[in-house]
Amino acid sequence: MEADALVRDYLGRLEAAAWPLAADRRGELLVEVREHIESALAEAGNRDEVTARNVLERLGAPEEIVAAEAETGQPAGWMPPSPGPADRRAGWGLIEVGALLFLTVGAIFLPIVGPMVGLVLVWLSTEWTTRQKSIATLIVVILLFLPVLLLLGVSVGSTSSGS
Amino acid sequence: MSIDFLRIFIFLLVPLAGIVAAIYLAVVLRRRR
Repeated sequence: MEADALVRDYLGRLEAAAWPLAADRRGELLVEVREHIESALAEAGNRDEVTARNVLERLGAPEEIVAAEAETGQPAGWMPPSPGPADRRAGWGLIEVGALLFLTVGAIFLPIVGPMVGLVLVWLSTEWTTRQKSIATLIVVILLFLPVLLLLGVSVGSTSSGS
Repeated sequence: MSIDFLRIFIFLLVPLAGIVAAIYLAVVLRRRR
């Protein structure tokens, strides 16, 4: 896909995602983003597919732009969220950081208890989907209980062979 | 497999379980950004 088609596709997605905004704001936003893309492409001095993809990637997903716009209602002259300040760097709240710390550092200093607390925090978080939470839980459960089961198997085996 | 070997195995796997899960969750969260 060539650069122009990519940009058209992106702007189409942005327009579709921007339906919650007021009509005039939606139009402004589209113009601003289009201008930003054009100036970024001009600055790059290249109008190929890779450059266009990079520019669009740096801008972020259209849905994110609309969400940021709906939250802040920033006036004209707005700059794209990336690589700017991490205000929309969704996900890394206290619960998420705590969960990952308990799963990693906690697992070393508080064996069994650490990962369990980490998993509780994972399930309390709203940032991961139920599927992702289930996968993480399965990883912990399988890796934790596999050796315990093996150990039990060896203990039983050695007891029965000893008697 | 000896019991000693399994003890070491457990000692390594307990932190590994959390670390693998944490890496997975961190990657998922980063990709979603």
